[in-house]
Amino acid sequence: MLKKYIGIYMECIKISISTALTYRLNFLLDNFIALLSNIFFPLVTLLIYGSGAEFPNWSLYEVLLIQAVFTMSTGIANILFNGVLWATMRHIIEGSLEIVLIKPVGCLFFLTASTVDFSGAGLILGGAVLFAVALSHAGPVSILMVLQFLILFISGVFVMMGISFIMAATSFKWVGNSRLPEIFDSIKYFGRYPQNIFHKAISGFTSFIIPVAMIGYFPAAALLGEADGTAFIAIIPCLLFAMAGVLLFRHMIRLYEGVGG
Amino acid sequence: MEIISVSSLTKTYYTYRRGSSFKDTLKSFFRRERISINAVQNVSFEVEEGQITGILGPNGAGKSTTIKMLTGTLYPTSGNISVMGYTPFRDRNTYVNHIGAVFGQKSQLVWDIPPVDSFHMNKAIYSIPEKEFKKTLDELTGLFELEDIIEKPTRVLSLGERMKCEFVMAMLHRPQIVFLDEPTIGLDIIAKQKIRAFIREMNRQGVTFILTTHDLEDVEQLARKVIIINHGQKVFDDTLQKLKMNLGAKKIIRVILTKPVAGFELDSVKVIERNSDLEYTMEVNLENNSINAVIRQLTEMCEFSDISIKELPMEKIITEIYESEGVKE
Repeated sequence: MLKKYIGIYMECIKISISTALTYRLNFLLDNFIALLSNIFFPLVTLLIYGSGAEFPNWSLYEVLLIQAVFTMSTGIANILFNGVLWATMRHIIEGSLEIVLIKPVGCLFFLTASTVDFSGAGLILGGAVLFAVALSHAGPVSILMVLQFLILFISGVFVMMGISFIMAATSFKWVGNSRLPEIFDSIKYFGRYPQNIFHKAISGFTSFIIPVAMIGYFPAAALLGEADGTAFIAIIPCLLFAMAGVLLFRHMIRLYEGVGG
Repeated sequence: MEIISVSSLTKTYYTYRRGSSFKDTLKSFFRRERISINAVQNVSFEVEEGQITGILGPNGAGKSTTIKMLTGTLYPTSGNISVMGYTPFRDRNTYVNHIGAVFGQKSQLVWDIPPVDSFHMNKAIYSIPEKEFKKTLDELTGLFELEDIIEKPTRVLSLGERMKCEFVMAMLHRPQIVFLDEPTIGLDIIAKQKIRAFIREMNRQGVTFILTTHDLEDVEQLARKVIIINHGQKVFDDTLQKLKMNLGAKKIIRVILTKPVAGFELDSVKVIERNSDLEYTMEVNLENNSINAVIRQLTEMCEFSDISIKELPMEKIITEIYESEGVKE
């Protein structure tokens, strides 16, 4: 079974790359724009620090590290999960989900696999460059810190996966919820700043309720030796988010099968 | 041996009445009236293995809803379905391995890449061994003469070529039953004939086909058994031969005359619509007359610049069935 699903995923990746390369200019532009827009954001941080202001107790490169992790994490989510919402919404509006449901494969898996989109690759590349620069100015990094970083980074990706699936699931009932990603993006951006600059209520919300702090702040803090118990407790809501996304989507699929397109 | 058994199948949808005027639209923003729609009502039928069955009906009759329930992609509100021993809506994941489907208005092909890449996707989905995949693909593309077509991007293909590729996509895993929802919609006569020939060949190899259409010609050329659905209810379920006997052999002839005539006084011809002094639509009964004879009589009676011969429209067929069986619509 696993072999079959890996085979399907590989085919989907091949198709996604073929599709992206069909429109070469569009592919290059997508990546260039993603790269450019992410260069601008650290520029704002550079301007803040250049003008003498700062985030209390955080150096420029520490803040850039948080933003680099956030950018890479967002890039991975864009490639792997973000297409699900738009694909689901399109199928619901056009009443064409049947062409997915007649395949002997999980509907959520197939929609996720078939919407892998490499136009987010520029984001990962930009984030990786920024990450390397910021990390080179950080203190020594131990293997334990790298392991902590990886666990927290993956948890951050789970948060975005969960959110994508939850938003996609809502489109079964709330057809045309195209503004929902914008609302989530606004909340997500809290994750690219040091959390101690926010009021405790807000940092509690971004750590445990919608754990967007895991997208940038917590993994970067681990590399800086600043990860505390809060970061590891926040893994639980991240996993719950991912599970909730999968379960809600499955529930909505059953509703679709019950009522049709 | 029966391969599909459907009993008392019912599907009720709930939707909102919005109205058509601007005032209704504004009103519906604040308060919407929930209404139920009986898409399929108490439908029962059986299909024999190896048969081609046509489900006929006008738009919105419930044909596609029935097909969706048969493919397991839609839960019925009540009733039972058994296909090859599976209950489609309950055993969907296992069941869909054994069926294929072509939806005339929904594509399984990926738009920007060649169909052959989509075929490889189905190879992975259905775990088709490489050797078997190649053999089936060669056979299917050969039947449709698609060898050169499948490597061009789907978006540059004609509707007919795309539809042929949809059939290949649906047949690659060698399904026992194939559901076709309006497979010839929008196609020209040559593409229709190719697709019909393909269906006949696959049927000869043992594949059972269920076909929904409102094109009577599809049914005439393919199906032995016909089910007619109207307003979600089954109004006819028998052989094509029986349907023809019920209806009589009737055709619709439309003529555009070069100069007016007093009238068409022929036994087998009934004028059903007169758009002007020069444009007539007639229903022709061919029970005791050949179409050649009718056209010869018309040619002697008047001079025309254009003539077209068509099948009876679906609405007319259903009306005739209601009338012949004494059912009130």
